[in-house]
Amino acid sequence: MFKNIADVHQRLGSQQYIASDEISTVVYLAQSLCKPILAEGPAGVGKTELAKVWAKAIGAPLVRLQCYEGLDESKALYEWEYAKQMLYTQLLRDTLHNILGDVTSLADAANRLAQEDDVFFSDNFLLPRPLLTALTSDEPVVLLIDEIDRADVEFEAFLLEVLSDFQVTVPELGTITAKHQPMVLLTSNNTRELSEALKRRCLYLYVDYPALDDELNIVRLKVPDLRPELAHQAVAVVQQLRNMDLRKVPSISETLDWARALVTLNAKEIDEKTLGNTLTVLLKYESDVAKARRMMGDGGSSRGRHNR
Amino acid sequence: MDDRVVEFIRGLRAAGVRVSLAESMDAMRAMEILGISNKTLFRESLRATLIKGSDDFAPFDELFPLYFSSGGPMMQNALDDLSPDEQQMLQAALQALSGRLQQLMEWLTSGQGPTKEELEDLAQRAGADWAEDQQQSRWVTRRMLQQMGFSHLEQQMQELLQKLQEMGMSQQAIDKLMGVVEANREALAEQVAQQIGLQIAQQRANRPDDLYGSDLMYKPFHALSPAEVDILRKEIQRLVTQLRSRAALRRKRGKHGKFDAKSTIRANQRYGGVPMEIKHKKRKLKPSLVLLCDVSRSTENVVEFMLHLTHELHDQVSRMKSFAFYDRLVEIPDEVMNYIRHDDADKAFDIIRNMLPYRPYGTDLGGCLETFCDKHMGTINGRTTLIILGDGRNNFNSPRIDLVKELQQRARKLVWFNPEQPREWGTGDSDMLEYRANCDEVFSVRNLAQLSAAVDKLLSS
Repeated sequence: MFKNIADVHQRLGSQQYIASDEISTVVYLAQSLCKPILAEGPAGVGKTELAKVWAKAIGAPLVRLQCYEGLDESKALYEWEYAKQMLYTQLLRDTLHNILGDVTSLADAANRLAQEDDVFFSDNFLLPRPLLTALTSDEPVVLLIDEIDRADVEFEAFLLEVLSDFQVTVPELGTITAKHQPMVLLTSNNTRELSEALKRRCLYLYVDYPALDDELNIVRLKVPDLRPELAHQAVAVVQQLRNMDLRKVPSISETLDWARALVTLNAKEIDEKTLGNTLTVLLKYESDVAKARRMMGDGGSSRGRHNR
Repeated sequence: MDDRVVEFIRGLRAAGVRVSLAESMDAMRAMEILGISNKTLFRESLRATLIKGSDDFAPFDELFPLYFSSGGPMMQNALDDLSPDEQQMLQAALQALSGRLQQLMEWLTSGQGPTKEELEDLAQRAGADWAEDQQQSRWVTRRMLQQMGFSHLEQQMQELLQKLQEMGMSQQAIDKLMGVVEANREALAEQVAQQIGLQIAQQRANRPDDLYGSDLMYKPFHALSPAEVDILRKEIQRLVTQLRSRAALRRKRGKHGKFDAKSTIRANQRYGGVPMEIKHKKRKLKPSLVLLCDVSRSTENVVEFMLHLTHELHDQVSRMKSFAFYDRLVEIPDEVMNYIRHDDADKAFDIIRNMLPYRPYGTDLGGCLETFCDKHMGTINGRTTLIILGDGRNNFNSPRIDLVKELQQRARKLVWFNPEQPREWGTGDSDMLEYRANCDEVFSVRNLAQLSAAVDKLLSS
């Protein structure tokens, strides 16, 4: 557990995650208020990463639930292993003779069997999925519910019940209450509006692209082999690209990929040639690449060099 | 401090941010944990607990400094740095200045700004009581600064400078004095702007909120003012979210279709063929819609909201086509739908009006139905729900009941949305009663609440 906000910042930092004041504050508040965090923002700004480093920083296991269209309770919560249950029943048939060997009436047999009920309905046949794993864990966990906006509306409603009481009902076994309240991080890429009820239960964190200095720090931390001047130049180019009207602007992870590419290629400086060769690491659409080349003022020349 | 936060939350609500009681309590608890001594932390804690969408950051950022700052930057006292002689010179020079700017110059040099009462008085004279939003606050601030004499300040400063030079004050002292006065001028302007901003935010929070809340949902469309229409447009998004989750849940919980032998066998292969999981065929429940909208003046609002609602709910509908009619019938182009979705209904209706120019007593529903049956009958099949949105007033033209009958038989369902009250149906040139006899369902949609209830019903069947 974190002691204070500086502690959050420092311990996330030791996991190579540079947390802004905002992120540290919200994480600390989430822990103190026992509330889930809803993190929104463009793709690739480190929302998912935050959950991972959060778990590592406090030494708790991370349980991840990836949402997608059509995700339902049975895939998110638990599944009942009928096959295993049947197998057990069949294997136990011989042993049943031992128990029921000396009974004479049917009612007696039923009573005996009822005493052994637990064998047939027990945790053995419960196959926990992420949500149940998080609730039944013996130690506190960090539960990451990734891309909640992709799940269907009715799954969101189901999730609300879990998030408000931290307990679920399994028809075969009864109600299971969380031993420790998990720390929950929901991420959303804002592809659809989430319900008000869900938002009301969460602390809200908007993660945006970092400013130049912050991004430079991230690059230095994650790709220490890149020379400082080059790193500065590279980040400046990325920041410039983000201001352009592109179909998909480069994210932090793409900046890091690019930085690694520059190290691998042993680039001395970011000139037209290096940029032309590696721009596709940053930009993922042909039209974007063309636009960026025009913008950087080396559209014709670099393409000409490729052709030769 | 708690009171201030409560006031701030009221201000946020008045600015259109939805803050629930639970969220206010979270904010209070966050404050207890983080304390209020560090302003950035305090701001973060309020923002994380109260604001739940990036759209609402703007009002928060605007209001926060108004409620939680000590009324702007401090002003300095210029006299502190001057020797007694120089102070006397300054006093004398100020005395010699003309008229009403004297007060302002005294505030600026002494660093003693106007008292709270004086500020409030000045604000009232500048018309702050009538201002309604933060845009007007900038205008009121400018007026107030003018009244205080800021517009003539430059000239006055020059005069003062000259006088002091004549009196023989050293250049160094003058420069210093002018620097302080300049800083004080900015500080005072900032204080005034904050004072006005806060006053207006509070006024807005304290105004009886007749415009907000659910009351407007029940106000008839024809009685809505443009401002009220704007508010309702913002409500649409919420309404859509509600309708959508209701429709999705209903589809999930609704009765399943027939037993599906094939997929049951497949699914139970892993249990050795013992049918543990029963599979059902999914019934296709999403309706396919064809919408005919009367776009005469009287129905503009209801048509806009109807188009907006149905368009936003497109994922709950398998197919949708919309037509506008007046004296003729035309298909509504996508461009119009785009404008409506982006709350630019005026542009949307300009386009429709260009296609269907206004003519007195122009409505010809019978004729339009004839066009529809001739040209667009292909859009109607056994799965289509046909919605006619209009008042059924036909200017004594032939109502063409025969066509309505034909359409009703061909479509899965014919539904009529009428923006008039049921008791007005059949009066004057209204053919509604005859039409009603041939519809599967008729809704009176006089206000947004009725409209959304009707759309909900439509999605559920």
